[in-house]
Amino acid sequence: MNWDLLTVALLAGVANWAFRALPIISRTDRQPAGGWLERFLSATGPAAIATLLVASLLPLVTPDPGKLLAVVIGIVAVLVTYYRAGSVVLATLAGAFAHGAAVWLLG
Amino acid sequence: MTGTRPLFLAGLTASLPIVMGYFPIAFSFGVTATRAEFTVLEATALSLIIYAGASQFLALALLSSGAPVLVSAFTLIAMNLRHVLYGPALMRQAGREASTRYAWAWAFGLTDEVFGQALGSLARGQRFSEPYMFGLGLGAYASWVLGTLAGAVAGGGVLDGWPSLSAGLGFMLPALFLALLLSILNRRQLPVTAVSGAVTVIGTLMFSGTTGILLGILAGALAGLVRK
Repeated sequence: MNWDLLTVALLAGVANWAFRALPIISRTDRQPAGGWLERFLSATGPAAIATLLVASLLPLVTPDPGKLLAVVIGIVAVLVTYYRAGSVVLATLAGAFAHGAAVWLLG
Repeated sequence: MTGTRPLFLAGLTASLPIVMGYFPIAFSFGVTATRAEFTVLEATALSLIIYAGASQFLALALLSSGAPVLVSAFTLIAMNLRHVLYGPALMRQAGREASTRYAWAWAFGLTDEVFGQALGSLARGQRFSEPYMFGLGLGAYASWVLGTLAGAVAGGGVLDGWPSLSAGLGFMLPALFLALLLSILNRRQLPVTAVSGAVTVIGTLMFSGTTGILLGILAGALAGLVRK
């Protein structure tokens, strides 16, 4: 076992646990209703998901029209499937399948 | 404690899209780790202990380039700082009466995708429960660790001959984030998501991917302050 790796993993892992668990354990969300902190926190969720969506799509943006079209096809498949079926699972699978198929067809 | 098992199983079922999204990514992490000459045990230990995808890939790059231990650790810690915002946002949606007795255990599993899925289920009217969070978190965690193990055992170059399969698997996470966003989106949150998206692009192009993520979340949350 590489001990440098283990040390880095332990430090990062403990910090991850603290970031994820301590704000919940200390219930930092329990602030007076209607305050600025409530509006800030209720916007955090959608903000985080929108951010992560953009961050995961950015590496797929390429000047290659074929590859870009495959990304657009994947996105459209998610949108159409979600609005037709209303299911996160089906929309995710449809998007991945459509993108993979487009990459195969467009070469 | 009546109803604990069905809630746990409901969480486990809800983790299915994350499981399907995580496994291929973790698999490619395992492959990358073995390519960087880490052992199967070391690759799996990173997933078991850190359990944060993007920063694990960064850990491989830092450690294999000989970066000092503390510099590597603090870089990874800064990268995951955004997780501080997830717990309070989730508990705000869960309500004041929601129990957090076992949060010390299930909250370690509160990754980007688990947080998104949990928030989405609450936004769709489901009641918050800790067994559900355990089920949701455990499915995702098991998938991440087992995917890493499978990738590390398979070794480098295993997906090279299957570009369309590799592309489809790689698109799983963007597709999941988009579907999750659609499931929680409403008219009031549109400006928040638009600001987040725009700032993420600007932050990523001007600084780095990690900075873009942090700035995007903060800008969107701040945009929530000014909306009616």
